[in-house]
Amino acid sequence: MSSNPIWHNIFRHQAEKESLSYFLSQVPIFAKLTRRELAYLEKLIHIRNFEAHEMVFSGGDIGSGMYIIRSGQVQIFSQDADGREQELALLEAGDFFGEVALTASRPRSASARAATATSLLGLFRSDIVDATQRHPAPTAKILFGLNRVLADRLLQCDEQLERLQRASRTPQEPSHE
Amino acid sequence: MSESSGISRAQVAVIYLVLTMAIASGIAIYSSATTFTALLKTATAGLFLPILLAMIVAFMLDPLIRQIEHYGIHRTLAIFTIYLIISATIIVLLVLIGPPNWRGMIQALKADVPRYVSFAIVYLTGLLELAQQHFPFIAEYHLGDHLRNLSQTLIGAILVQTPRSAMRFGSLLVLVPLFSFFFLRDSRRIMRGIIALTPNRYFEMVLDIYAHVSWQLSTFIRGRIIEAIIVGLVVWAGLALTDIRYAPLLAVIAGITNLVPYVGPIFGMLPGITIALVDLGIGPQFWWILCVYILIAQVIVDNMILIPILISKVSNLHPLWVILAIIMGGKLYGILGMIIGVPIASVINIIILEIRQYRRTFNPYNRYFSSRGKML
Repeated sequence: MSSNPIWHNIFRHQAEKESLSYFLSQVPIFAKLTRRELAYLEKLIHIRNFEAHEMVFSGGDIGSGMYIIRSGQVQIFSQDADGREQELALLEAGDFFGEVALTASRPRSASARAATATSLLGLFRSDIVDATQRHPAPTAKILFGLNRVLADRLLQCDEQLERLQRASRTPQEPSHE
Repeated sequence: MSESSGISRAQVAVIYLVLTMAIASGIAIYSSATTFTALLKTATAGLFLPILLAMIVAFMLDPLIRQIEHYGIHRTLAIFTIYLIISATIIVLLVLIGPPNWRGMIQALKADVPRYVSFAIVYLTGLLELAQQHFPFIAEYHLGDHLRNLSQTLIGAILVQTPRSAMRFGSLLVLVPLFSFFFLRDSRRIMRGIIALTPNRYFEMVLDIYAHVSWQLSTFIRGRIIEAIIVGLVVWAGLALTDIRYAPLLAVIAGITNLVPYVGPIFGMLPGITIALVDLGIGPQFWWILCVYILIAQVIVDNMILIPILISKVSNLHPLWVILAIIMGGKLYGILGMIIGVPIASVINIIILEIRQYRRTFNPYNRYFSSRGKML
């Protein structure tokens, strides 16, 4: 039946592409979850809608979870003592941020603000803690995915640091990159 | 209206009319509001106890259901499994031991309660006379009459209420499992729906506080109930060794009154002590019963073993609040209110403490409000 494009379109593709679980399966953290685990993840997630220019969180707040952008744009920025803003990143649909706060309550390192009207999917620590007790297997997979992404970022960070160190040790020498 | 002000007769009439209408509609709204609350009160009158019991049952069963959910079983199915196991246990117990002899027990109680009460009256009158010898100014107080009236009301209540309470018991048997089933299955979804209503900027805080409070509450309620059950069982075992009658009933009373700290256990052991005095007299058995109530059940089992294990220090209420909660609970809901007043006060206490704790530990420099206030 999959050969027939009409059936394919009507029954599977369209509906699936719009569903929340399909969207979640495209996020790198949840890439390895099965369909059933994605359905469970859907129950853990809070859908939050933000207006344009509404703050998601401010730097220094105690975070309690991560956000995935379903639609819209989110601006990540830091603020110095005088209140001047410096944009660090502009995130699009499919990106996620604030994942450090998911496993430990740490202060947010930067602020996040909705650049346009935005729909965010929030995944919070209290739900994850509850889920580890009730459904350990899928939760372990979610946390594994998170760990993978964090490890990748740490690796990138290390490489950048090394590059910077090398550059600072030999300031006269022009960089090859 | 002969003053020189610019108000004409017609205007006065209009003002008069408007004022009258305002007052009348005010009275109408007020009275309809009171009838509405009265209606609400009547409609919910019988629901308080079943909902409370269902919540307690839900809190008790939740850990078991979590255990079953571990194996990847759907929550609804897990709840049904637990219900099946519990009802099977009850049926097996009924078949093995046979249904309890309610009729005989109530008949015996009807005969015995006046006996016990009259003994208590004689004893207390003796005490009063003794007191009057030393303090003549309390001669006016007729304790005996008061107690006699009280006992008559009590016996009347038992006679009238027994069939009615049997009916209520039957309805509880249906309502409590039904309510607790829905609490167990849907409470998470309902709470998520309520939390979802909070504005974005408070959402994370509310979610965190809710998680803390619900954890504290479930441990507290579970701890209190398990404590009451164990104390009841210990009292039962201790009393069963003697010849005292109504040991199971006395154990139930001791367990339930144990929910009220400080004052509860004292009232819980009064009936047992009275029955022991009347039926057994002062002898080795009486001292053993006293020892079971005070030393074994309260001091050793409750204070030394159960409270340190089950009840966290967080939920400790000041004795003054305990007394206030008992009095206010009694005013609202009678004896039931006296028993549950203190646990409800503790629940409120836990909620307040958790919110304060959250704001202190999670916002060491009060950044939450200042930073958000500045940026928005």
